[in-house]
Amino acid sequence: MTADRQHQPLETASLASLFLVCLKIGLLSFGGGLSGWLYQEFVERHKWIDADDFASSLAISQMLPGANVINLVVCMGEQLRGPAGAIAGAFGFLVGPFFAVIGLSALIDRITDAGPLQATLAGVAAAATGLLIVICWHGLRRASRHLSGLAVVAVVAVTVGLLKWPLLAVVACVAPVSIALRWKRKDRSNAG
Amino acid sequence: MRDDPLLGLIIVFVPFSLISIGGGASIISSMETQVVTARGWLNAPEFLELFAISRAAPGPGVMLATLIGWKVAGWAGAIIASLALFVPSSLLCYGVFRWSNAHRQKRWHRAVREGLAPVGTGLIIAGVISIFQLAGGALSSVLIAFAAAAVLIFLPRIPTLVIIVFGGAVALAICKL
Repeated sequence: MTADRQHQPLETASLASLFLVCLKIGLLSFGGGLSGWLYQEFVERHKWIDADDFASSLAISQMLPGANVINLVVCMGEQLRGPAGAIAGAFGFLVGPFFAVIGLSALIDRITDAGPLQATLAGVAAAATGLLIVICWHGLRRASRHLSGLAVVAVVAVTVGLLKWPLLAVVACVAPVSIALRWKRKDRSNAG
Repeated sequence: MRDDPLLGLIIVFVPFSLISIGGGASIISSMETQVVTARGWLNAPEFLELFAISRAAPGPGVMLATLIGWKVAGWAGAIIASLALFVPSSLLCYGVFRWSNAHRQKRWHRAVREGLAPVGTGLIIAGVISIFQLAGGALSSVLIAFAAAAVLIFLPRIPTLVIIVFGGAVALAICKL
């Protein structure tokens, strides 16, 4: 068994810092890629949440109704600071975009040649997609410790991403298998 | 015969909140049906423009609901539409997560978390594929995305915003050439 980086002790988050980090992400995340921003701040920079917890909360957030990233903020806020953390995170996360979309809409109504602006926004969105690729990269590295983990990643990515099978059905079939494989491996490592 | 627009926003968006499984993108098309066809609040080009704005602006894509509320009933409409879309699903998610986290120390919980982690990774990869397909597979977008990811992986100290701004600048330069 290799000792993992991710089992380093995690930092504690105050309500104020949770609110401010979410406010910052809400205001700066032009072009989307919000899970990527959340990963950069909560896992990489502040070390509040470990990478496995992040990925499993993300899977839960995607299965339940609602905007995935808001569900993710609610989950991580609850894990860090309980109910107050969930509220502080979600409110901080939404208040910036609330004014930003309305402001941007009012601005675009006044612009006549929107071509360069649209090109810039497309580039911003592409860079934001890069944030998501970072999560894929780290997730693949962790999953590649076991062949079964890699297989689960591949099956989900291909069926949902390429074949466009319904997300809920895929997760309902793959998740129990993936969990059972983990459970069995624990059995063996406990016995051995 | 004019219905109260605020009540209308609640009636339209609360159900969307609870059926939007798979995230905001899953309800965009039925939202268009409700807002454009059934209620006639906006016409189709207006809806598309609001959709584009909500994707470019910071924050989650479902801020589209905020914009629709704003167009329909001003600031009160924006607030009501946002709350109607975000509060019900957030309460549900909170309840489910809190219940599962109460069993955090148990062995099955650990297996669930570790088993769900590769599923989450696979879903993110699927999301990236969909985004590239939506962008029409433009080569410049794909290159910018992978370059941004490489910088973040190998130079993690560079602030995220710098990378986002740089992506926009590169795309603007390509457009001007």
